[in-house]
Amino acid sequence: MNPYVLFFLLFGLGLGTTTTFASSHWLLAWMGLEINTLAILPLMTQDHHPRAVEAATKYFLTQATAAAMILFGSTTNAWLTGQWDIQQAIHPLPATMVMLGLALKIGLAPMHSWLPEVLQGLNLTTGLILSTWQKLAPFALLLQFQTTSTSLLIALGLASTLIGGWGGLNQTQLRKILAYSSIAHLGWMALILPFFPSLTLLTLIMYLIMTLSMFLAFKLNKSTNINTLALSWAKTPALTALAPLMLLSLGGLPPLTGFMPKWLILQELTKQELAPAATMAALTALLSLYFYLRLSYAMTLTTSPNNTAGITPWRLPSTQSTLPLAIAATTSLLLLPLTPAMTALLKL
Amino acid sequence: MLKIIVPTLMLIPTAWLSPAKWLWPTTLAHSLIIALFSLSWLENLSETGWTSLNLYMGTDPLSTPLLVLTCWLLPLMILASQNHTSAEPMNRQRTYITLLTSLQLFLIMAFSATEIILFYIMFEATLIPTLMIITRWGSQAERLNAGSYFLFYTLAGSLPLLVALLILQNNTGTLSLLTLHYSNALTLSSYADKIWWAGCLLAFLVKMPLYGVHLWLPKAHVEAPIAGSMVLAAVLLKLGGYGMMRIMVMLEPLTKELCYPFIILALWGIVMTGSICLRQTDLKSLIAYSSVSHMGLVTGGILIQTPWGFTGALILMIAHGLTSSALFCLANTNYERTHSRTMLLARGLQTIFPLMATWWLIASLANLALPPLPNLMGELVIIISLFNWSWWTIALTGTGTLITAAYSLYMFLMTQRGPAPAHVISLDPTHSREHLLMTLHLLPLTLLILKPELIWGWAF
Amino acid sequence: MTYMMLLCLVGLVAGLISVASNPSPFFAALGLVVAAGMGCGVLAGHGGSFLSLVLFLIYLGGMLVVFAYSAALAAEPYPEGWGNRYVAVLVVAYVVSVGVAFWMFRGEWYEFSWVPVNELSEFSVIWGDTGGVALMYSSGSSMLVISVWVLLLTLFVVLELTRGLSRGALRAV
Repeated sequence: MNPYVLFFLLFGLGLGTTTTFASSHWLLAWMGLEINTLAILPLMTQDHHPRAVEAATKYFLTQATAAAMILFGSTTNAWLTGQWDIQQAIHPLPATMVMLGLALKIGLAPMHSWLPEVLQGLNLTTGLILSTWQKLAPFALLLQFQTTSTSLLIALGLASTLIGGWGGLNQTQLRKILAYSSIAHLGWMALILPFFPSLTLLTLIMYLIMTLSMFLAFKLNKSTNINTLALSWAKTPALTALAPLMLLSLGGLPPLTGFMPKWLILQELTKQELAPAATMAALTALLSLYFYLRLSYAMTLTTSPNNTAGITPWRLPSTQSTLPLAIAATTSLLLLPLTPAMTALLKL
Repeated sequence: MLKIIVPTLMLIPTAWLSPAKWLWPTTLAHSLIIALFSLSWLENLSETGWTSLNLYMGTDPLSTPLLVLTCWLLPLMILASQNHTSAEPMNRQRTYITLLTSLQLFLIMAFSATEIILFYIMFEATLIPTLMIITRWGSQAERLNAGSYFLFYTLAGSLPLLVALLILQNNTGTLSLLTLHYSNALTLSSYADKIWWAGCLLAFLVKMPLYGVHLWLPKAHVEAPIAGSMVLAAVLLKLGGYGMMRIMVMLEPLTKELCYPFIILALWGIVMTGSICLRQTDLKSLIAYSSVSHMGLVTGGILIQTPWGFTGALILMIAHGLTSSALFCLANTNYERTHSRTMLLARGLQTIFPLMATWWLIASLANLALPPLPNLMGELVIIISLFNWSWWTIALTGTGTLITAAYSLYMFLMTQRGPAPAHVISLDPTHSREHLLMTLHLLPLTLLILKPELIWGWAF
Repeated sequence: MTYMMLLCLVGLVAGLISVASNPSPFFAALGLVVAAGMGCGVLAGHGGSFLSLVLFLIYLGGMLVVFAYSAALAAEPYPEGWGNRYVAVLVVAYVVSVGVAFWMFRGEWYEFSWVPVNELSEFSVIWGDTGGVALMYSSGSSMLVISVWVLLLTLFVVLELTRGLSRGALRAV
């Protein structure tokens, strides 16, 4: 791809998200979402692979549907209440419509089935953009507009944590596994959204950091399925030693960063007298943990026998920059003791 | 508290910066010094019971023995794993020692936490190093299965515990062990409160392990390398008992009604797992099942909630920690020579390793609780308090004691006595390292009976 | 005027049905043109004459391209029109469901979309959309710049998606 065009597209991605961030008017927010979708389509198809084209088509169709639902919901709201403000109270009918549109846009269960399919068709860089940057604009809207439908969000959240764990159990492809992990994390965010929106923001940030480190690690190893992970010890030994920790952090095991959002969410849910929902969400996290554990078995905790050609790559210097990965991995492991600082930062 | 934690942290640079030749001696000496310093915790002068307090940590008569045991076990683990890791690259040996060190760090913070949520986090944090020790350094392919069992049994129990603790915090406003006794008693009457009670205890019962949720333990023990088996049997199981004793205070009116099925399971488990031991062919599996059996007694002692029950439980936990760890070390000396855990393949070892047979004898006798050892004191105190609680328990505990004696004898006779088969004649001789290891296990055990108030907790 | 509006709205629904009933692509494109034209008629009837004019021109241009493109892409020997059995069944189903929906929602608050056209225009000096256009060029000028930028972006996106002949993302199947 021509670098100027690439710049143009990346600028478009930034412009779309920024527009949604900055808007207080539903129409503008919708416009930002559409710019975002438009700008990522060529990035998705840059490989010219049939699978990439299929993924881009699926992505375009779901995102267009979601954006249309959001637009329809917001116009209906304008018609019923006479105002377009995002932060003003919204009529329950369009609120549900917008909520479902946004859920489709980020891939909350039961509107999730596009996400693994799309992510599997992309290369790791675009996949990284899709599962991190593309979540920001919808979440800006989710955090701003005032929902009254608590039970809808709890249902969406629980369904997502369950399906995110369940669906990933059977996968051998890393990108699909990451997609299901994304669904499960989004479920946690949706679960806490009606009670404590800034906690959703914290969870989103933690999810972004951990997903970033996982995608960068897979990119460094050029691995897209579980089998190729077995060779990573020959390429990057130190990263291989840290990878299970990063995966368990993604699964939310205590002394690692991933536990922080889960802990705070469970705390808030119990405060809201929702202990059964909290327990259920916590137990569905075990399903996710199972496939993270399987990844770490394949990557680090076993060393499969190999031939000489397979175990020499560590002698060759890598040309990839590892600084972002180093920072992301460190933050995705060691942030739990800084929980008070994080909560103070986000004014929880 | 920091006098122990900071040197433990500094063990990690010691492990990575020592020259390869001096790696094992320096880490051993370093950890031994930490263990010696930790003995100063036993000096408890305060009237409230809590000493060495800082903002988040402190020790009291309940946690001190377990803390000292934790610190004592690290040099022993290092001593025990020196041989079987010697074939590996240097970096992996260093990583191994780092893992053992981090495990000790988490355990110290777990036992000394005065905030239950800190205890919970550290309780869970011990899972990660243990998981890695089992699944990375175990020897068979089944170790992955064992690792999954270990992780998921524990987590499935402890995630409800987290929710239950958060509910408790909402109701009382605090989770501090120092003040929790003084908060208003909860009114626990509804069915939800009963589920909450189960949530509070289940994690610890799984960790103990209670008979019925114990399946992860033999797997983990059999597949883990020696250090993993040692720490698992000696300290990690005790996290369950310790947690139960701590949380029991808050569950006051409910335990009396709800504990029956758990006590029955625990006592029935003593007999059942003892019987399993009787027909076991796998040496490590036998020791693992004997752990389950002993822990059943501990669970029973804790659940009836009498001072004697608690005292006996604590004494038995400490004594069993040293005994089972010693037995695993002995099993490992066999394993390193014959490369098999099957008892049939290494018989009649007394004629080949006479001194080792002495250690086997002492450890087996400790396991079956012979008089001058704290094991007997612990079992006796628990059995007496259970008998006082209900006469019928003597049927189960008595049978259990009998079976324990039977399988300990079976283990000793099977491995040590009789003619040595031809294929074990040419085994390596024993090292003084191994004898030192056994001495460091069994000497404290025999000495403890001279001053048992060090480990009997709150009783006086 | 009300009859004109009714005609336009019915035409809009008919256009939508003719697209949704899944005929061959160029019939569907014709349906789109009809729906667009009728939609612009509705807008014009409600007083948005400028908007509807602009929209109609854009639609006309766009639709022609789509029409030509789909006709070129899918040169089927036996195209499926609305008379085809499968399509006809869908048409009937949609018509019936629209009728049922109309019958169910008739007489509720949705009725007030049937405001007689231009009834309120006596109260204002200028037409609503004329004032809107002026506002768009004065207050919304920066947004216009962004819109222009996005149009350029769209151009690049379309070029990137269609570039590369047989390797491109969009191509004849």
